[in-house]
Order: sequence, then structure tokens, then C-alpha cells
Amino acid sequence: MASAFLPPADPLYQQVIVFLYEEARLLDNWRLEEWLALLADDIVYVMPVRVTREKNQGSEFDWNLYHFEENLASLKTRIKRWETQFAWGENPPPRTRRFLSSILVERGDRDDELKVTSSLLLIRNRGDAPEVSFLSAERQDVIRQTSDGLRLARRLILPDQSVLGLESLFIL
Amino acid sequence: MAGTVDKMRLRDGTPLKDLVRIDEGRIAARVFTDPEIYELELERIFLRNWVAVAHETEIPHPGDYVTRWIGEDPVIVLRDKDGNIHILLNSCSHRGVEVCRASRGNVSQLVCPYHGFRYKLDGELASIPSHKEAYDGRLDKTKFNLHRARVGIYGGLIFGTWDAQAPPLEEYLSDMRWYLDLLLNRTEGGVEVVGAPHRWVVDANWKTGVDNFIGDGLHTFMAHRFAVELGVLPEDPLIGWFGYHISVGKGHGLAMVGAPERIPLPPYLGLPQELWPHFERSLTPEQRRVFEKTGTIHGSVFPNLSLLNTTTISTEEGVPRVPFLTLRVWIPRGPHRMEILSWFLVEKEGPDWYKDASRKNYERTFGMTGTFEEDDTDVWISLTRANRGLYARRHQVFNYEMGLHREPRPQTEWPGPGAAYYGDYCEANQRCFFQRWLECMTEV
Ligand code: FES
Ligand SMILES: [Fe+2]
Repeated sequence: MASAFLPPADPLYQQVIVFLYEEARLLDNWRLEEWLALLADDIVYVMPVRVTREKNQGSEFDWNLYHFEENLASLKTRIKRWETQFAWGENPPPRTRRFLSSILVERGDRDDELKVTSSLLLIRNRGDAPEVSFLSAERQDVIRQTSDGLRLARRLILPDQSVLGLESLFIL
Repeated sequence: MAGTVDKMRLRDGTPLKDLVRIDEGRIAARVFTDPEIYELELERIFLRNWVAVAHETEIPHPGDYVTRWIGEDPVIVLRDKDGNIHILLNSCSHRGVEVCRASRGNVSQLVCPYHGFRYKLDGELASIPSHKEAYDGRLDKTKFNLHRARVGIYGGLIFGTWDAQAPPLEEYLSDMRWYLDLLLNRTEGGVEVVGAPHRWVVDANWKTGVDNFIGDGLHTFMAHRFAVELGVLPEDPLIGWFGYHISVGKGHGLAMVGAPERIPLPPYLGLPQELWPHFERSLTPEQRRVFEKTGTIHGSVFPNLSLLNTTTISTEEGVPRVPFLTLRVWIPRGPHRMEILSWFLVEKEGPDWYKDASRKNYERTFGMTGTFEEDDTDVWISLTRANRGLYARRHQVFNYEMGLHREPRPQTEWPGPGAAYYGDYCEANQRCFFQRWLECMTEV
């Protein structure tokens, strides 16, 4: 069976990987204005609430309430808050590390778009506590090719936890 | 007396009543961090009071259920074939395995996965496999139903208690109903929960949330200072002051905050005009009078339910602010940890644009990833962390004096029940909560 996924040797696949790594690095280093520049103007950025359900009782994702239901303007508001001296939950800043794996790329619905899925492990540590908290999730992205390079046009985050173990999370 | 335990004292001899000195406005730090106190709370608070677990609209159809908590005990909240709601301990009467393993769903009966005991939706034991042979026909099946909590419903909100002696819910809520009506019954259809609640765990004592929501107006200027920096809240240290701080009694309290005269507020928190005629029909003139001049309502119902109805900020530049309503329970998970379970609710009659905008504002400011939410949880975690040590537990005492010498306003000025103080920089409600807390802790 021929796979619809681009092979790792495909230059487009490599471009996408570098894009995602770079994006994760900007977030891990709190270079949030630069991160914003990687988003398409019409970005849709969502993470639904997950609930534990019995098998065959429908999707575990609740498409009525979200952890994130964002567009460019609302993401900007989140980041503007972070830039003040008074985002107490981020001051002192948490240390975050985003691990990405299982990146699969296929052609999108539009000629200039790619559908990208990946596994995310976010590790978060704060203050002098040796413990870390974490969030793992599947990401389903739409990445658009533009004359300025790749841009994130859509991100759907499907968390692996129904009760989140992070004390706060203003951006993922 | 030798051999007997003095239930009025902690093991180190400290009388419980010394921890909470309402008349002086002093509360010992260990109330928030001592494991011994926490254990007592599970018994004296969570086994004896009405605890909110769900809203009727979460389980609209026969067989619908959600799993929740009363204290540290897991319960199933479900609707039976006749539409009646039951709260059952999620523990099989045979040997204790959970009979419900998901957090929501629909069932026609409850079947234990261990040995197959089956229960009806009201918790009655229906059948046991090989019952005759296994028990030689001698087991009295009527004695092995699931444990059932008493159920009380107000404004669609479902409460449970294990205490057969607890007063009926109406009496327990008492005057708080007048205010709950402003939130839950302001339209004929009432409010509905949208989706599944946000749930997350933070390392803070459960009372930090109750205490903040019941009456902490002062923290707005500092903890949520980012909103001032962004120019969405005025640079005025009195920003959270302008309104009434109402100690309702029985441990319940709330604040209805407005704005100074010079800043015009939209009526009814800025709720859409389409809803105003409903208020006319559903609320009394006195309720409307106070509701009309309000921009924010925050409060708590004893022991661990809180409520918030406000507009916070515009989360998208150029898009007007829309109010939202959230209820949440602060579920105890040990002395230094709680689960926050937070619902978003909206009027059934609300126009779609409002429902959408209201939901987003909630998600972005007071949901799990909300910007305001994070400010609050951060300081609660901090105060829990800072007061766990033995020295702090013995000697640190928190100050709850704010408004201690203030007089409540007369009925002509404030027509609602309870003692209404002007100015939400006040700790009368917190004292009201801890007074009830102390009563429970010493009622043995
Ligand atoms: S534990 Fe439930 S049937 Fe035995
Ligand atoms: Fe707050």
C-alpha cells in the first residue's frame, strides 16, 4: 500500500521538521513575538477538553468546551499579558521543553497546505521544585507554504489527559 | 480523662477554637496546611454538608451519568428511567470495585467488572451471578445496594450529602438562594452547562479558592495587575472596591461589584438586551434593582462551591467584552492539593453570538488556561507552600481584619438578605466562611 505520507528524504518533509523544531525552540525560550510571526493571519488554534469514556460511547473529545479556542488576536492578548511584569504564573518563568516526535506529513486540502501530525511531550518545571509537570498530546497541524516561508495555519491539540496536571498553561 | 480523645483539640493540645478568632480577624496558617486538620475536615466538613457535584443539564437523558467527588469519595451522579437523580458511592457493595469507570456516559444498569453484581440506576442491587449456588440461597440482597447520598437540587445544581441529619438543601442554602437565583434562575429556562468541565490539579489547599472567591476584592489590583498594565482595567487602586460585600450567613457569601459613579456600566453585567425581558419575569424588583447596577458577582457556597459572573477583559483587540458565568468546586486532594473542576454555564435563551463570545471569554480568562485563573492559582500555590513548615504551622497567623469595624448597610439601601457592607475590600465574607468552618469542626 502506497503511503500518503511524504518520505523523510522529501525536501518538503525536512522543511516541515525544521519549522516545527524552530517553533518549539522559540516557545521554549519565550521568544513569543517571533513565534507569533510564524502564525498565519487566519490561524485557528484549538485544544478541546477530554473526558474519560467507555469504549464505543463516542469521542473522548468534547467539541463544546476548549482549553484553547484561539485566533491570532486572542493569542496576541495572551502574549501581551506575558510581556507585562505581572503575569505571576510566569514570573519567575517556568522552564519548558517541548519534545516532538512521530512527525508525519501529507498533502493538505489546498495546494499550498500540508497536513502534519506529531506527538508532543511538554515538560514544565518551575521555581526550585525538582518535580516536573507534563502534558502529552497529539498535534494535528495545517502548515501553509507562503512566499515568506512556512506558516502555521491551524493547530488542533488533542491532550492525553482528561485532568490536566499543569498548574497553568497559557500557551502550548 | 485518660484514654479519651478530646475532639475539640488538635494532638498538640491546641484548641480548634484558637485557630479561628473571628472577633479579632485572625486565622492560623495551619488551617490551610496541617494534615491533621485536613483529616478532620474530611469528616467534619465533607461528610456533613451539602456538596455540589453536578448540574442537571450535564445529565439530561435517562441513564446519563457523570462521576464526581464528595470530599475524597468518588460518586456517580445519574438520572434514572423516571428522570430522578441519584448520587451513589462508586464502590461495589460486594468488594468495592468501581461500578462506573468513565467520567461520563450513558448506562442502562451498573455492572461491576469484578464478579458481576448488577445494580439498577437508583443503586438497588438487581442481580448477583449464580446467586443461589454461591450464597446457598441465603444472602439478603436487599442489604447490598450501593451507598446512596441524599440528593438536593437548586437552580439545576445538584448537591449531595451523606448526612441523614443535615437540614434540607433549601434550608442549608437559606438566604443564599436569593443570590443564586440571580445567577441560575434569572431566565425562565435557567442556565445550562456547556460541554464538560475543565479539570486540573494544583498544589494548593482547597480553601484558598473558596476564600478568594467569597470576598477577595482587594487582590484584583495586584494579582491581576497585568490587566491594568494592558490598559483594560483602570490604574486605580480602588478598582475592585465599588460594590457590596454580602455576608449571607451559614458560611455563604458573595460580592456584587460595580464601578464608581463616573464610570458608566452597562446594565446587568453587560448581558445581551435580548435577555432583559426574561429578568423582568424571573426576578423580583428588588433583585433586579441590585442586579442592574452590577458588573461582577463573585462568591462561595459553603463548603467548596464558588461562583463568578463577570466580563473580565476583552480577549481580542477591538472585540467587545461579554460576560460569562462559571461555577467551580475546589475538590480536596490532600492538605496541599486540590482538583479544580470548573463549569461554564450560559442562559438557555441566550442568542448564539453571545453564547459563543461568552464561552471564549471564560476559556481565555478563567478556564484552565485562562490568564486570570493563572494569576490566582499561582498565589494560592505559593501560600500553601510557604506555610507547611512547623514554625509557620505553629506561629504564623493570617490577618482577616479588613472591614472588621464596618457596619452593614440598612435594608433601604440594600434590599437583599444578609449583612451587606459597602466596599469589596473587606474580609467579612471570609470570616463568615471560617466561622461556619469552625462550627463544623467543633460540632462533634
Ligand atoms: S467487587 Fe463488585 S461484584 Fe465483586
Ligand atoms: Fe482573582
